[in-house]
Amino acid sequence: MDGVAMRRARESLDIVHMMSNLLGTGLDRQTLAVLIALCEHGVNPEALAAVVKELRREAPPAAKKSSH
Amino acid sequence: MEGNVVSDLVWQLAVRIFPSGGKSAENGGHGPQKRLGDPTVHRAHEYAMRIIGSRISPSLANDEAAVAEAIKRQLVQENRSADALSFADLHRRLSSFSGPGSIESRWALLYLLRAIVEDQKRERTGTRGTAISFTSTFSGGLKRCVSGAAAHGGLPSLPTNSMHPKLPSYSPEHDVSSGRSYSSRNGTSQSQSLSHSVRAQLPSSPGGVLILTKDDGNAKSAAMREYLEIIQSESDVSEMAIVRDVLYACQGIDGRYVKYNEDADGYMIDESIRVPKSTRTLVRRLCEVGWLYLRVKNHISESLENGPLEAIGTVGQAFCAALQEELADFYRLMAVLESQVHHPIPLMVGADSGNSVGNYLSLRRLVVWLGEPLVRMRLMAVLVDDCKTLRGGAMAGAIHMHAQHGDSLVRTFLRRLLRQVSSPLFEMVRRWVLEGEIDDYYAEFFVSAQSVKAEALWREGYQLQTAMLPSFIPEPLAQRILRTGKSINFLRVCCSDQGWAQAASEAVAAAGASASGGILGYGEIEVLEALVAEAAGRIDKHLIQIMYKRYRFPEHCLAIKRYLLLGQGDFIQCLMDLVGPELAQPANTLSSFKLSGTLESSVRASNAQYDDGDVLDRLRVRMMPHNDGDRGWDVFSLEYNAREPLTTLFTEVVMGKYLKVFNFLWRLKRVEHALCATWQTMKPNCMIARLWSNKEGGGQSQLTIVLRRCQTLRNEMNHFVTNLQYYIMFEVLEYSWSNFLEEMEEAHDLDELIAAHDKYLGSILEKALLGERSQLLCKTLFSLFDLILRFRGLADRLYENAREVQTRGDPSSRSRVKSDTLSKPRPGQRKLSTTQLSGDFLGTLGEEMHGVAVEYSSLLEGFIAQLPVQQHVDLKFLSFRLDFSEFYTRQHMSTSTPPIRLHRTPTKVQKPSIGTDPA
Repeated sequence: MDGVAMRRARESLDIVHMMSNLLGTGLDRQTLAVLIALCEHGVNPEALAAVVKELRREAPPAAKKSSH
Repeated sequence: MEGNVVSDLVWQLAVRIFPSGGKSAENGGHGPQKRLGDPTVHRAHEYAMRIIGSRISPSLANDEAAVAEAIKRQLVQENRSADALSFADLHRRLSSFSGPGSIESRWALLYLLRAIVEDQKRERTGTRGTAISFTSTFSGGLKRCVSGAAAHGGLPSLPTNSMHPKLPSYSPEHDVSSGRSYSSRNGTSQSQSLSHSVRAQLPSSPGGVLILTKDDGNAKSAAMREYLEIIQSESDVSEMAIVRDVLYACQGIDGRYVKYNEDADGYMIDESIRVPKSTRTLVRRLCEVGWLYLRVKNHISESLENGPLEAIGTVGQAFCAALQEELADFYRLMAVLESQVHHPIPLMVGADSGNSVGNYLSLRRLVVWLGEPLVRMRLMAVLVDDCKTLRGGAMAGAIHMHAQHGDSLVRTFLRRLLRQVSSPLFEMVRRWVLEGEIDDYYAEFFVSAQSVKAEALWREGYQLQTAMLPSFIPEPLAQRILRTGKSINFLRVCCSDQGWAQAASEAVAAAGASASGGILGYGEIEVLEALVAEAAGRIDKHLIQIMYKRYRFPEHCLAIKRYLLLGQGDFIQCLMDLVGPELAQPANTLSSFKLSGTLESSVRASNAQYDDGDVLDRLRVRMMPHNDGDRGWDVFSLEYNAREPLTTLFTEVVMGKYLKVFNFLWRLKRVEHALCATWQTMKPNCMIARLWSNKEGGGQSQLTIVLRRCQTLRNEMNHFVTNLQYYIMFEVLEYSWSNFLEEMEEAHDLDELIAAHDKYLGSILEKALLGERSQLLCKTLFSLFDLILRFRGLADRLYENAREVQTRGDPSSRSRVKSDTLSKPRPGQRKLSTTQLSGDFLGTLGEEMHGVAVEYSSLLEGFIAQLPVQQHVDLKFLSFRLDFSEFYTRQHMSTSTPPIRLHRTPTKVQKPSIGTDPA
């Protein structure tokens, strides 16, 4: 990636992050980046949202579990 | 490759989300190495891959702006307008990027964000019930599915079958259900998302509206289910099987349960099978269609296949064809219904329990479907029953009577049927009216032909068969049709005329132009009437023209009047003069040849010679069959030979009537002739004058008396005969003739002409006292004639003697008494004493004369008395003429008077003592 592209990509990510914060999704930048990448690859956003939801659901108990 | 990248990314995602595992992964760098301590991560990864794999294609249209709008709206709704504005700003900035490094799938991203937010919200608020989860539930087999569903909707889902084809109906409900949010989403998204999933389990709730019925705990549905179970347990047979059997029965085929019962004469369910009574009666009712169908079908097959064609004729065939068409419609309906039985269409109320009520075709629905076909089938069966014995026009008429029905459905149906049935009839009519041919092999037409001689063609050749006349053709129209065809045939056969063809074609052209262009068929009676009117008018006119111009019917009528009815006076006079002496001979000595010669000479001697040769040709002498003792007068007559086609008018009967009139007139003429001749002898000439003047001295001599009486009697008779003749000539013959002429002018067709001619002849006969009612009068008349002729004989003898006496005693016997000189010179006899002879002679003569006079007067009285009683008005005129001074009636009324002679006071009486009463 050349500089322009990189800059643009970074700016886009920033904007998306801001949007995400505005909406209150609770996603951090890196996760967002991964998600963006997945979307760019043509994955169904519905599926992605479902994945996120499910993983999130499983995550806290797992976190709890792992924390114990 | 793609899959690997995705997998990597998902791994990263998992790593990120799982903080514990993520840390280790992060520390260990990216890559798909699996640590032992991350079974959760692995599992999550697998799970995520599966989810992603199951929904590869996006289900929504890529409408980025819509999604952005939706988000903004959402924010506004949450009273975060500032956030909405900033979001909009961000979005705009994002959109402005393009080229490498920018995000292409913005829509996907926005959608994703939105979805995550929604999920979060939902998880946070923990809404239950109405809304289905944004991302829907997952296929069974996932561990979380049930709990997930429970967490979301709280409703247990009913087990569904994977082949459930109820999808299209779900969309409206879904719209109802998702009304709370995401209004921009259309129903197709849901259905698409449903359809392409492998889930066998559909979201259970169709929407908030219908929840109650699906609630197991609901009493009503439970009761319904119980009821259905009871129903099912009652009957051995499922309703679907019954329905199928009923459909078979409707086509006349026995099914497994529904069979034809001979006793009850219908289709019903076997007694042995247990079905509820209501079903039984319903089936019985429905199978009436089958029973009717069988009848119709039997009739058709009998008529068309088994019976000979003569039995039913073309009309019957047309009827069967029409029935078959109707049955074809019925078959179509049956086919549709049968397909319904096997492939039930689902209902909106999810009848997915395998319950037979859920099948589309139930008995009740069958009742509705078969309602109209039942009516039609019944009609057809009724018609079939009625028309079993009928044929041809009668069948069409019977069906037409059925068509007089108030129900418009019945009417249209029968009209359709009748159109077909009556088309052969109309074709026959058309041919008959335009060409005079009958195309009728099976005797179905209402005009029947018989082969007769040419002259009887008109009167008897063609008859109207009222039995075959359909009731929608009125009688006058049928008469016209008959007459038109008859005229064509008449023209063709008797007159050898071909001009009618042109008239017929003109008629067709005119009818086609004038009518509304309707085709000749049932229900278009006006078209038929127009055609017949045109054809009849033209052909009749043509016929009349032919009759008048070519065959000169009026001329012949006139000739008959002149010769047979003694119209040509001079000719008749001549004839009588010539023929008279011959006819006094006995009949068997006369030869018609000689008489014809006399006829010819009298024709030549009179004005008749200037008449048309053709006419004179036909005039002949005819000798009637004679008995012994007949004189020539009794057997002589003239006849007029009319040739074809006038023999149609001048039939034997008609000519016989003419003959009768001729005889009567001939006798009358003869009597008149006789009296004229007597008058000639009685003419006052010097001889007679001398007779009168020879009375010297004393009283009237006997001779004078007798002579006087003779004169007066002759006068009276002459008065009578003259008046009678005058009456006959003018009041009867001429009057009837002028009437006839008028009617001849106005006659439009041959029937009218014949009628007019018959009327003419009839009136002549009536008025001339030759009819049946005047038999008595006729006899009186004839006896009067005989009397007159006898008188004539007497008078002639008298005058002859008188003259003889005169001539004998002329020079010398002036002074002698007249009576002395009277003697009849008889050859070869002794000369008796003149006085004796003359006295005796005069006495006998006088007596005879007196006898004649008395008889005459009594007869005349009787005659005149009877005249007013006659029906005919004109006879009153005759009585008026004869008795204009009421002389006879006065005589008749005065009963106490002795014979008439006493009161006869002619004004010219010179000798007052005339009224002496001889012995």
